[in-house]
This record gives sequence, C-alpha cells and structure tokens, in this order.
Amino acid sequence: MIKVQKLTKIYDMGKVKVKALDSVSFNVVNGDMLAIMGKSGSGKSTLLRQMGLLDLPTTGKIFLGRYEATRLAESTRAGLRLKYLGYVFQEYALLGELTAHQNVYLPGMMLNNKGSDYKKRAIELLKLVGLGKRAHHYPKELSGGEQQRVAIARALINSPKVLLADEPCANLDTISSSIVMETLAKLNQDMKVTIIFVSHDPSDKQYARHILTLGDGRIIAQDGRPA
Amino acid sequence: MIRSLKVACLLAFTSVTKGNFRIALLTMLILVLVALNLLFVPGLLDGLVWGANDKLINTYSGDLLIEPDEGNRYIANVDQLMTEIDQIDGIKSATARNYLGAEIDFEGKYLDTTVFGVNPDTEKTVFTITDYIIEGSYLTPDDTDTIILGVQLAGADRPNLELYARSLQNVHAGDRVSVSYANGIQKEYTVKGVFYTEFIQTDLQAFVSEKEFQTVAPLLANNASAIYIKTTEDADTDGIINQILSTTNGLKVATWEDHAGLVHSMTASFKIIEVIMDVVNLLVAGITIFIVTYIDVANRKRQIGIQRAIGITPASITLSYLIRALFYAFIALALAALIYIYGIIPLEAHYPFHFPFGDVYLRVIPFVLIRTALLLFGVSIISALLPVHGVMRAKIIDAIWS
Repeated sequence: MIKVQKLTKIYDMGKVKVKALDSVSFNVVNGDMLAIMGKSGSGKSTLLRQMGLLDLPTTGKIFLGRYEATRLAESTRAGLRLKYLGYVFQEYALLGELTAHQNVYLPGMMLNNKGSDYKKRAIELLKLVGLGKRAHHYPKELSGGEQQRVAIARALINSPKVLLADEPCANLDTISSSIVMETLAKLNQDMKVTIIFVSHDPSDKQYARHILTLGDGRIIAQDGRPA
Repeated sequence: MIRSLKVACLLAFTSVTKGNFRIALLTMLILVLVALNLLFVPGLLDGLVWGANDKLINTYSGDLLIEPDEGNRYIANVDQLMTEIDQIDGIKSATARNYLGAEIDFEGKYLDTTVFGVNPDTEKTVFTITDYIIEGSYLTPDDTDTIILGVQLAGADRPNLELYARSLQNVHAGDRVSVSYANGIQKEYTVKGVFYTEFIQTDLQAFVSEKEFQTVAPLLANNASAIYIKTTEDADTDGIINQILSTTNGLKVATWEDHAGLVHSMTASFKIIEVIMDVVNLLVAGITIFIVTYIDVANRKRQIGIQRAIGITPASITLSYLIRALFYAFIALALAALIYIYGIIPLEAHYPFHFPFGDVYLRVIPFVLIRTALLLFGVSIISALLPVHGVMRAKIIDAIWS
C-alpha cells in the first residue's frame, strides 16, 4: 500500500515560487495499475518523482508500506529505490556505454541478493519484454520502443513491489507505445507488480484499473469522478 | 563493499573501453610524460651524486682512511698494522701511502703539490687510478726516478682543463721534471704517465713508487702518512672502525663521507631541485586528471543522476571514477617505467651526460619508482575525487533534469 498525504511541492525560482503540487492525497493498493493523467504542467511528473523518492516534497508525507519515506535519510531512500521501486523514465535513460543486458543487470548487481543470479534474471526479463535476442546490443543500436522496454526490464530486475513509469510512451510511435503499455499491463497481471504510470494520452486509460487526474497541482478527478 | 566495488569496476571498465578513446590517450600521454619526469630527474641527480661519490671513493679517499691522530705525524709499524688490518672482517684491501710537500719545475714553470709514495701493487686493489692513464703507463714497484702526474698538474696541452692556467701546461709522458721536496731533497724524474680521473682533487696529485720515496725520505721506512682501505659492500663500517682503533693507539679513522664536503653540498642542492620538480610535475598530473574528470563528470551529469536514481550508490559511482583515474595512472606509470628502463637508460648509456667529474649515468632507484607510483596514485585519487564529489552532493533530480 502506498499512502500519499497532503503532498505539496513548491519550486523556489528566486523571486517566483511555483506550486507544482497542492495538498495531494490518495492511496494505491498493492497490485493496482494506476494512471496519473492530466495536461502538461498539471504536476503529474512532479508527483511521480516524489513517489519515486527522487525528490523531497515541501510538505506532506508518503508512506511506502510501513516506511514514511519522506522522513528517511538519503542513504535509506537509495536503498528503497533499489529494493522496492522500479522507475521508468520518459527518455529511456539507459546508460550508453553498457549493453542492454548490462543496463538491466546493473541494479541487480548493486543489490545482489544471496542466491540471485542477476545476469540470468536480466536475460529472462529481456525475453519477457521481447528483447531476448538484443541483449548484447548497445542502446544506440536499439529503437526508441526497444530502449524503453529495456528500461522496463531494468526497473524489474530487483523484483520491485512498485513500478513507476513517467510518460513511458511520450517519445514513441503508436505501435511501439502499445507494445510498451501492453508489456506494463502484462507485468501487472502476471507478476502482480503495482504499476503507477503518468500519461497525457487519453488512450492509455484502457490499461489502468484506476485513474487519477491532476490539474494545477491538485486532484481534479478520481476514476472519472470529480474530486 | 564488494558489491559497490564490482559495480564500480563495471562502470569504470565500460567508461574506459567505450569512452572517448582520444581523450583517454591524451590523458595517458600527459601522465606518461609526468611519470617520466618523476623518474628521470631523481635518476639523473642520483646518477650525478653516485658518479661523484664513486670517483671520490675509487680515486681519492677509499672507503676508509686511517691517519695518525693529533700529535703524531706518521703511522708507525705499518707492515705489522697492515697485516692486522688485512685480517679484519669486511676489509677487502688496504694500501699505505707516504707523502711530502714538493715543488715541481718544468721549463721554468713551478707548481706546489704533494708527492705520494705508493705501493703500485696494493694501490691497484684500493684505487682505480690505473684505469685513467691517458699518457704513458702506471708505476711498478721497482720504478725509480720516475713519477706519474695528475693531468691538472701536467696540463698535457689541454687548455680546457679547469686548472690548466696554474698547471705545468705542457708536460707529457717522457718529459723530465725537477721535484724539490720539502725536506730539501731535489730529484729529476721522467714522467712515466699522466692520469686523468676527472676528479679534480685526485688529478692534482703526483705519485712515485714506495721504493723511490724511500730514497727521498729513508727515515719514513715502515711508516705511513695514511692507510687507505677498501671494504666489502655489506661491511659494518662502525665495527671495522672500532676494530682498527683497537689495534694500535694514536690512530684516527675517517670515512669517505668525511671527505665528501663538495658532494654533500651538491646533494643537498639537488634534493631541493628534485622536490621543486616533483611538486611541479604532480601539479601537472593533478590538474590534468582534474580537468579530464571534471569535463567527463559535467558531460555525464545526467548519466550519474540516472545511476543514482536506479539505486547505484554514490560510493560506487565515486569509486568508478577513482578506479578509472588509478587505471590511467597505472598504465602511464608502467609505460613510463618501460620507456625509462628500456629506452632512455640504454640510450643515455651510449651518449652519457658529461659533468666535470666524469660521465653520469641515469640510475633506476626502486625507492623512487615506488615513491613515484604512490605520489601519482595519490594525486590521481584526489584530483578525480574533487569533481565527482560535487555531483554526488547535487540532488538527483537536478543531476538528471537540470
């Protein structure tokens, strides 16, 4: 269970202060597939970054299970990012000097649970996202859709409880987008991974069980009902 | 820790193998030059000091020098003392000398000097002056009425000599010189040989055989002005000195270092030069690695942010940069050592640097090699750490999206 309580994020731009999130509260149950929708500048990505522990809110709390993540030290948050969270960036964010296989197994190598064969698991995950035969290719040798699927495989290497995807199809064509979204839906269904994805594309609603709509940093609708 | 190290090694390895080859090459080239300098300067200075000391020991002072202490003009019972000295552990050989002040006259030119009466056979076991004969030949035990002169006395028509102007200037082997000893004896000698050791104090000496010297100063038979000793390489100098002093009263023993006043002051100056050169070289190495790492970190700020976002610890990322910097330093040091040992040293041996006391050969000093490695590695770590530390302190979000 993820609990977000009165989350507010204010960016201090010198003379101007921008309120990107304004007292946002909601819960996500385990195994859910939540879509965070909204127009550009509505605060979707800001919210996901707070939930992904990449940034700290100005006020408010985020609970990951029993941990109040917003109160933890950076080293503990780094540990949570590694063990419990997988993050898929909008711009693929693969490491260019590593092969697809190395990109996927790198966080596994960092965690290296006893008995886990992260290299073997990375191959399995690449097969799962349909890239088993591209394991030893470098990112520049892969298409945008393939890179995003490698990023998804990487996010899953440590068997996270939650996978966060920030507009995973923003830079992809229609066919690649549907492959990526179907891959996420399949992972949610088969592996029971809680998936929270951000999208501005209304057609992505079909993949979500629940939908949160943001406007001007506030929740304006939940599952289509005005908040 | 092992996990962090494994991840760091992977990141460093891919960064070296997949990174910009030209930048890596340029970095290593600069580091090779720095490492070469760090090896070359001490190698040259040490070669210089070693060369000077070698000349001092092998042509002038021996390893140890026994002289009569204050109140005695000569060492008495030399034959017996020499027998006892020969039996001391750590002494390779010894030779006794007598000397008298004298004035040498050649074609109206006069020169004050010291003439040594030597045993040519034992002299060869302590000194290497015989290797430096440039005209004629060295003395034999039965030589009488002959003398050999250092080139700074003879001049030998070598106007480039340091002391040519005050020398006899054009004395050669076969010439006749007149020697007026301080005890009033005057003798005519044929110059049997001229030697040129390139150590000025030695080249100002003149030698006659012991047999000849006894005709000049017969009262000095079985006496000596000094005994020169060559020790074995692993000799316990202090132990030998104590044993010598216990054989007879009225002796004092000096080491070659007590005669190395000029070389000592030269060494001190060289050490200062060496430190200055080392500091400059290490600054160049440090700044090079800092710039390369800084530019690299600036270009990879987003990548580093992503690494942190996916759970790679700052320690692993920092370690990857340190490993890479150490790798560059190690390769540069290895290349520099190979170039120095198998390229520069053999080349310099063919075309040695010439200094006033002779040819100087570069030396490989294990201590300097280890010190260079440690200094280079230390500077590499610090120079790589500083720019990486800055990015690690930035927020992940700023690193990725700034």
